[in-house]
Amino acid sequence: MKKTLMAVMAGALMLGASAVAATAGTVAVSWKTFQEERWKTDEAAIKAVVEAAGHTYVSTDAQGSAQKQAADIESLISQKVDVILVVAFDSDAILPSIQKINDAGIKAIAYDVQFEDPNALYITFDNVGVGRLMSKSVLESGHTEGNFAFIKGDKGDPNATFLFQGITEVLKDGLDSGKIKNVCESFTDGWKPDNAQKSMEQCLTANNNKIDVVVSENDGMAGGVVAALEAQGLAGTVPVTGQDGDKAALNRVALGTQLVSVWKDSRVLGKQAAEAAVAMINGTAIDALPGVTKFKDGKKGVEMNSILIPPNPITKDKLGEVIAAGWVTKDEVCAGVKDGVEACK
Amino acid sequence: MALDANSSESPALVQEGAVARFFRATEIDTRMLGMIAAILVVWCIFDIWSGTKIANEGLFGGSFLTPRNLWTLLVQTASIAIMATGMVLVIVMRHIDLSVGSLLTLVATISAVLQVQHLGPALGVGHWSIWILATVAALSVGVFVGACNGYMIAYLGIPSFIVTLGGLIAYGRGIGFYISEGVTIAPLDKTFKIVGGGVPESWLGPFWSWVLAVIACAAIAYAVYSGRKQRLRFNFPLRPMWAELLITGLASATVLGATHIVNSYPWPPKLIEQFALANQITIPPGVENRDGTGVCMAADKVVRCVDGLIFYTGYPVPVLIALAVGLVMTFIATRTLFGRYVYAIGGNPEAAELAGINTKLMTVKVFALMGFLAAVSAIVASARLDAATVSLGDLNELYVIAAAVIGGTSLAGGLGTIYGAMLGALLMQSIASGMQLLNLPSAWQNIVVGSVLVVAVFVDQIYRRRVK
Repeated sequence: MKKTLMAVMAGALMLGASAVAATAGTVAVSWKTFQEERWKTDEAAIKAVVEAAGHTYVSTDAQGSAQKQAADIESLISQKVDVILVVAFDSDAILPSIQKINDAGIKAIAYDVQFEDPNALYITFDNVGVGRLMSKSVLESGHTEGNFAFIKGDKGDPNATFLFQGITEVLKDGLDSGKIKNVCESFTDGWKPDNAQKSMEQCLTANNNKIDVVVSENDGMAGGVVAALEAQGLAGTVPVTGQDGDKAALNRVALGTQLVSVWKDSRVLGKQAAEAAVAMINGTAIDALPGVTKFKDGKKGVEMNSILIPPNPITKDKLGEVIAAGWVTKDEVCAGVKDGVEACK
Repeated sequence: MALDANSSESPALVQEGAVARFFRATEIDTRMLGMIAAILVVWCIFDIWSGTKIANEGLFGGSFLTPRNLWTLLVQTASIAIMATGMVLVIVMRHIDLSVGSLLTLVATISAVLQVQHLGPALGVGHWSIWILATVAALSVGVFVGACNGYMIAYLGIPSFIVTLGGLIAYGRGIGFYISEGVTIAPLDKTFKIVGGGVPESWLGPFWSWVLAVIACAAIAYAVYSGRKQRLRFNFPLRPMWAELLITGLASATVLGATHIVNSYPWPPKLIEQFALANQITIPPGVENRDGTGVCMAADKVVRCVDGLIFYTGYPVPVLIALAVGLVMTFIATRTLFGRYVYAIGGNPEAAELAGINTKLMTVKVFALMGFLAAVSAIVASARLDAATVSLGDLNELYVIAAAVIGGTSLAGGLGTIYGAMLGALLMQSIASGMQLLNLPSAWQNIVVGSVLVVAVFVDQIYRRRVK
């Protein structure tokens, strides 16, 4: 009965009616861990959208344990929530819990971390896209040939490989024709900046400083790379990529020692996921959600409906965006910046 | 070393060969000789191997045995080598410290947060006192945490493995994360960065490097001389004169050779150019290729065409710190009461206690010293990276322990040398750097370093058995 009513409501919504639902629903989030700073940003964004739509927000914290997460989800099911966003701690171990969610007639959303269940919606940043954006930024800055060094992340992290796929995909023409030479390519244990620094030092030594571009897979490692370049007086002349929108990295972008930091604004992720959840409460079918595409690049190749949010490459001229979004303060970005950076004026 | 030399002296019974006679006369630690040989072999292999990929100016046509690479290698080794000297004493006392890497992260985080978030805004970025306050804070935290470890071990009776395992979990990614909120803290104070060796201000330059080398040679000669005088005074057996001279000569040659190498590494061309710009020196015509890719790297050419505009780096500060730490720690370990106590306790804790040594206080002191050294490493490592990150010291405890063990420190306690541990650190970093130079997969680096650790201990045990 309730469901029919909701479907009617949803129909009304789609015709442009007010977003306030007559029957308030509940959106739940099962976090894998709340120890990392970033999830607080996500939660604030989700909560804002859910509560603005007149629904209730509840959450559980699995504290980095697959067992605890399974128990959390059972408790959420018995609370009869309408949609559960799951940040899976273990993307395989979570599957029985997802089955229970499905059986209870509740909608599941894989938030940021994929689990492969065809009934669920997968919403994340486009990780291959991050790699593509790194390469694109390099090419757009006019560095289309020469010796490229690739500082990859930890070899145990599939993201490091995803990123590298995207990176080489865009550089493919150059690499194939020999205009771009891959002179150094190394994984970095634990994504550690100091390891990246050592790799870069050895790379510079081996190539007599003849390095034209450094593609680093994240901002932390970019810091190590820039330190190595600085010791050779090359910081600022060799473009370096990164991702995460680290404060220190955005400062480097302003100073000109780093070309780009691809920024995944977790508030956009939270907002879009919450909007999808609200739409699902209102009865919108998953494949009718705005921006949904088919995704089957997971480990098992299960086809899922997914929303892949494009990340935002922050270069010098886009620094204003991160400041305007409140992600960092102008002081943090502009510390030590002397010459004319638009965002620092 | 000295211990083995003594134990091998079963005079007259064993017919000594010429080689054994030589080592007995010179009292050279053969294990140290073995390590140096191993390091040299590794260096040569990497130079030849890298030469087959890209020809360079190394001794065998590769990139490894170039002044630049050796210079970088020393800087890369400094942080682990500094901590390894302290780990020797900890292990000699039959303890272990698993928390040094985590403590390094904690100390680096505290000093970085202090510089960047508190002192910078309060005093103005770049204020002269920032680096002093940050350094004092870092060293204090290191000593304090180390002493706490020691107190819990000695007075509360918790095994050192457990106390420092707790520290490993709690310090860096616990307290450190809490303080930094997981954010990378950068950039650090300009003066503080000098300790890291990445800026021209942290390079001693050829003149002072030579001055230092000459002083070192004089000190070596004096040490040999005064050692001989002491032996005469107490009627100890003397080394033959030729052995004394040989040792003085070899040690001095090593110092001068190392100085020559660091003095042959020119400033990177880009930095010369920046320096010229900043000091309004016109770069004479003739140097066209200043983009860091060509001509300027050929040192002789630059010297001819830009007189006065070639600078050589000399010893970098982190290496000087590591050498100073090594010297002081060797002095502490072999020449002071404190050092004697450490080895006595390690040899036989009960006997040492019965002999009136306050073993509990000694434990606190040794762990406080370890904490101090972890803080020194934290300063070097964070200054070098120009940032403090939550992962900065990850796995460092294992490399430090491995360095000490490869260097001949016995986990059973009582045995171990400072220079051995430092050479162990150098050997491990040589392998890692060489493999990075060759662009080999990092999985291989882990396999090789892990194997070297096990093989080194195995060889060491065979050696010890044969000596006995």
